This record gives sequence, structure tokens and C-alpha cells, in this order.
Amino acid sequence: MNKKKGIILLKTLLLSTSQRNIYRYCTDKKKKRKIIGGMIGTGLLYIMLMAYCIAMCVGYGTYGLISSTPVMCALVISGIAFFFTFFKTNGYLFNFREYDMLMSLPFEAHTVAACKFAYMYIKSLPWYLSISLSMMAGYGYYARPKIYIYPVWILLSVFLPLIPMLLSAFLGFLLARFSAGFRKTNLIQTILTFVLLIFCFCLRFILEGIFKNDRVEEVVGKISNISDQSAGIYFPAKWFSDAITKGSMTGILLLACVSTVLFVLVFFLVGRSYRNINSALKSHAASRKFRMSTQKKHSVKQAIAFKEFKRLTGSTVYMTNAALGEILAALLSIVTLVIGFDKIIAIVTQGAPIDVFMLQPAIPFVLYFLIGMMATTACSPSLEGKNYWILQSLPIEKKTIYQGKMLFNLYLTVPFMVISTLCLCISAKTPALHTILYVILGIALCAFSTAWGCVCGIRHMRLDWENEVEVIKQGSAVTIYLLPNMLVTMGLVVLVVFLGTKMDHVLMTLVLIALVSVLALLSYLSVIRMCSHSPSSGAGAPKAV
Amino acid sequence: MNETAMLEIRHYSKSYGGGKKAADDVSLSVMSGDIYGFIGHNGAGKSTTIRAVVGVLDFTQGEIFIDGHSVKDEPLACKRVTAYIPDNPDLYENLTGIQYLNFVADVFDLSAAQREERIRKYADLFEITDALGDQIGSYSHGMKQKVAIISALIHDPKLLVLDEPFVGLDPKATFTLKQMMHEMCAKGTAIFFSTHVLDVAEKLCNKVAIIRHGKIIEAGTMQELTEGHSLEETFLEADHE
Repeated sequence: MNKKKGIILLKTLLLSTSQRNIYRYCTDKKKKRKIIGGMIGTGLLYIMLMAYCIAMCVGYGTYGLISSTPVMCALVISGIAFFFTFFKTNGYLFNFREYDMLMSLPFEAHTVAACKFAYMYIKSLPWYLSISLSMMAGYGYYARPKIYIYPVWILLSVFLPLIPMLLSAFLGFLLARFSAGFRKTNLIQTILTFVLLIFCFCLRFILEGIFKNDRVEEVVGKISNISDQSAGIYFPAKWFSDAITKGSMTGILLLACVSTVLFVLVFFLVGRSYRNINSALKSHAASRKFRMSTQKKHSVKQAIAFKEFKRLTGSTVYMTNAALGEILAALLSIVTLVIGFDKIIAIVTQGAPIDVFMLQPAIPFVLYFLIGMMATTACSPSLEGKNYWILQSLPIEKKTIYQGKMLFNLYLTVPFMVISTLCLCISAKTPALHTILYVILGIALCAFSTAWGCVCGIRHMRLDWENEVEVIKQGSAVTIYLLPNMLVTMGLVVLVVFLGTKMDHVLMTLVLIALVSVLALLSYLSVIRMCSHSPSSGAGAPKAV
Repeated sequence: MNETAMLEIRHYSKSYGGGKKAADDVSLSVMSGDIYGFIGHNGAGKSTTIRAVVGVLDFTQGEIFIDGHSVKDEPLACKRVTAYIPDNPDLYENLTGIQYLNFVADVFDLSAAQREERIRKYADLFEITDALGDQIGSYSHGMKQKVAIISALIHDPKLLVLDEPFVGLDPKATFTLKQMMHEMCAKGTAIFFSTHVLDVAEKLCNKVAIIRHGKIIEAGTMQELTEGHSLEETFLEADHE
């Protein structure tokens, strides 16, 4: 009975966000065109991702390392699945809008939690499959495995993301459970999430430090008889690798069985505290102690920027997604000042022949990779959601609204960019003129990120969401902003390091400042143009407000 | 156009996808000092019309004028003199009540002294002052409705548009709001509101329009429409015709 109810709930959850279903029953031609446009855009991103994975296999194949592909595939998928699930747990599993409605229906708490998880898994599975199957193609081309390996690979690809997603969801559950005991639940949860994410980012370097300090035997001794270090730390990667490279039946069974058992176990435990956690997350403390005092007047743009600030700090999901880059940039700059730029380069590049001088022009781009990872302007138009009526009914021009939103993103990014650039430049002993130019380039990059994010945010605005995670993590505006931006920035870091060895740094930076400024200006003008053309009700605007 | 009409709707129609008309050739005028009731069944087209008036919804046919300005061509001029209170106020849940009111005050360019005086006055009247420092997310439906009402009143609008304003309000707040509406009307503010509560409409309004399937079936002064009967009887009779 419960199983049947669970399937009904899962089907409904999938149907409620299915683009096919929206397309089928939507009578608005413009919205239909947007859905098709979104699908084409997503398809292109799939192609880019698959091309990247195949290129990685070509690299492995060329250097005779193709046997490492299955481990790499398992680790890449697991890493992505872990991080993305962790970001989404609060908002999907807990603290979601339709919680009251669902819990008032005759569902067990663990059924609701399990269905929400299964929904999250099914929605992200195509991304993991695209990585896995393209790596399978690359592996197949170079390693020429036996024919039965292909169906095994495909079958295990379905299980691969399950364990990291479950671990991540359980970690999110523990954080939520812990935070639920405090009065400021959301604040505690945001801080803990940041701490954990930063720890995960640093884990790689901590592990490398352990191995380099000859304490490897101590660590590996505890994980006895495992030859491959990476797969030794994370067992499912080894099971997958063994199943593919050695045809190990044990590997296949372990991966499938452990995933299933873990699923049942996690949702048995989560189900027990589900009501308690959601009650704590959804109830807000009301002090009723306010006394009227002197109020201050602000400009309209400042007022909108302040509203955006409160929106950001009021949501753990939004905060951990939008402000993580800034926090990481600040940490990087502090660590660099303490440890030294040369030592950081040695750790990151792992002994590659790159010196401090060569990397200096890349400083703004490295920081931009973190700070520009996410622009609040990419999701804030959609995040208006059911509040959209407020801005629509107020006497404000559309461009003023978006200028306010852009102003907030600049407030958020520019101080971090300037301070971090200065810290890195001081540590790298960059000449004063170079430092000034890198700061200007950093600011220009922030301006570009702000305006380009806004272009994506307006063009792919979606107001009829049920859960803010749909906008922040899965919205087409954010995807279209984020992925190309990150890939292009990574490419630019390499290009700038390469060009820096051939031409004068000052000249190169000036050219880049001019280029980025033009792109920022064009994006800004595009925002203004869209504001003057767009109708008063945005795409996907809720009909009944 | 009549010079004293604060709101004039002329042949306004709104179609949703599939050609179904939510509002069909709606015309009415609300003068300064009027309290104009807009009544009809669920789905009759009340909210669609109201949302078009306040510039939340686009429309293709007809014209709507507020204080002589076209909603289509001069939306900002219209919105500067209008205040809107929706039936289900979805406010910014992460802001505190006072932050939200300051946000609206900033948009309407109210000075620090003006906003302080008006927020204090209305918040005290609606007995919500002590809760203004709490997040809107922690408010009940009625408290959110009160904040939405205060935000509508603080900029002293010439036209007040309300969609089912009494839903969720406690008896004291309902009484206060009715009193406020009378005071505003006496100062020359035009009030246009939808309601299901016919008793309230009968006692409060001097003019009323009945809408059915998107069309205005009856409109005029309360006396003209009811002709000695109750508004409930008039509404049911008009609905059966």
C-alpha cells in the first residue's frame, strides 16, 4: 500500500515539473517557445559535457592510462552527485513549500522523504548518465573490452550516483537535525553548510598533505589491502572499477546491494525525525518586541538592493549557492597571505613548471572563477515568484528594478574581488601598476558577471516554481550562466598564462580590461533593451496572485 | 473622459489562451469619493479586472484610465497614485514588517518623518506595531494582510484597489479598515474593491457593479440597483436572469 502511494507521489512530483507536461497543456505560444528554447539550450550543455568527458578519455588513452577511466568516471560522478545533492537537500528534502499539503495527506513521513529523494535522483540522473556513457564510449574505443562490459557499465551507471547522493542527503539531514535545536535554525544551518563545504574543498589538500608527510602508511594501513589510493578511500569507485576492468561479480553485487540497503536505512532514520526537522525549519521565531524609532530614507535602487540582500541571507540554499564563491575567494586570499603564493602554486599545480611570474596575470581570472561562479542576478528575477505582484504594482520602471538587483550583486562581489586581488598580489609581490590593473580587471569581470547574469535571469525568468531549488540549482537561467562561464574562465586562465610568457603583462591586461568592459557594457545594454520590450507580466507569471 | 473620474474602465476585455474571455467588454467609472463594490461569483472575472487596473496583468482590448492617465501608456503615472491590496498577500517573507514598509516608502519617495508618522499611525490602529520587527514569514495570514494594508495606505493614494480585503482579518481589524475606507472616501480618495460579503458591500458602498462570466450585468448606485430590496436579493435575481 505504502509502495503504491509512494509511486503515486513520485509520479506526481515528476509530473508537476515535467516540461513535456507543461508544454502539452500550455496554451501560451510564447511560453511554449521558451520551453523549446530551454530544451535546445540544455541539449547543447549535454553535448558540451559529453565532449569534455570524451576529451578526457582521449587524454587518458593517449598516455596509456585508459584503465583508470572507470575509477575516474566513478569519482567524477560521485563528487558531482555529492556536492549537488548537498546544495539541494535543504529545499528539496526539507523546508519545501508544499510540505504542509503533503504531510496532511495519508503518507508516512519516510515515504515523503524517500519520494523527494527519488525525485531529486531521477531529475539529475540524465546528467550523470551523459558523463558515464560518454566515458564508456571513450573507454570502449581505447580499451576494447569484452562486449558484456557495456551492459554492466550502463547498469552500474544507474547505481553510481546513488551512494554519494544518499550520503550527502544524510549529512544534510544531520545538519538540519542539529540546527533544529537552535532558535535561529536557518542561520545555524547556513553556517554549518558553509563550514562543511569549505572542509570538503580543502579535503583534497589535507589528504595530499597527509600522503606527502609520509603518513600514508598510517592511513592506508587502516584501509588494508587496497592498492588504488583514490578508489581505496571511496569503495564504490573500486567496486565499479573492478566490475568493469576485471568483470568482478562481487563489485557489481556490492554496488547494487549497498545502494539499496543504504537507501532503506537512510530513509528509515530520516523518517523518524522528519516532522521535527521540518517543523523547526518552517517555524520562525517572533519576538514581538518592536518599538517604532527613527526611520531612514533610501533611493529606490538601494531599497531594491537591500531587499535582495535580505532574500539572500534569508535562504540557506540561496546563500550557500550564491555566496560560496566569495567565501572561498576570501579564504584563498587569507591562506595565500599566510602560506605564500609560491607554495599555493606548488600545491595546486603539483610540481608543473609554472612559476609565480607566469601566474600573476591569471590572478583576476582565478578569483573570478570563484566569485563569478554564480551571479545573484541570474536567479533573482525568477526568485520573485509569487511576490512578483509587488514590483509590478509599484511605480518603478523595469530597468530600475534590474539596476537595483545588479547593484546588489556588485555590492556582493566587488569588495571580495578587490580585497582578494590585493591579497594575492601582495603575496605574489606583483608590481604596483600590475596590481592596479588586476584590480580594475577584477571589477570589470564582476560588472560583466552581474550584467550577463541579469541577461540570463530575465531571458529565462520563471516565476511559477514551487521550490526555490528549481530556480537556484536547476533553473535554465543559472545553468546557461554558470557552465559556459566556468568553462570559458578555465580556458582564459590557461590562455592568459600562455600569453603572459609571450607578451607584456601590462599590455595584455589592458586589452583584457577593454574586452571585458565592452562585454559588460553590451550585456548591460541588453538588459536595458529587454526591460523596454518585455511585457508587464513575466514569463511563467503566476495567474492568480 | 469625465474629469472627476479617478478610475475609468472602457470596453476592457481579457482573453486567456484558447479564446476564453475572463473579462468581456467591461466598462465602469469610479469617481473621487466613491466606494465602489465589485461583486460576482468565483471566477466571474473580478480579480482579472482588478489586476489589469493595477498594472499587474496585460490586456489587449479596451482602455483603463487612472486619474486621467492610461494604464497602458503611462503605467508609472497610474501606479504613483494607486494602492493595491491583493486577496492573498504574498509579501517578502525574509524581510521584517518594518523593512517591507520602508521598502514601499522608499519606492514612493516618502521622507523619513512622513513614513515614521504614517507607519506609527496605521500600525497602532491595526495593533501590529510590536510585531513589525519580526520576519513576515512568521506572520499569520491576517498579519500579512495588515502589513499589506499599511503599505497601501502610507503613500496616501488617490485610488485604493482591494481584492477581497476582509478575508483573514480579525473583527477589530475589519472594523478599522472599514473606518479607514470611510475616512479616505471623505478626503476624496476613490475606492474600488471586490468582495463576496454582500452585507459589507451594502453597508459600505455607494456604488456597485455585478459581474458574471466576465460581463458586467448590473452597475450603478446602491439605491438604483437595489430599489428597496437587499443587495443579496438583487444579486441573486440578477444572477438568475
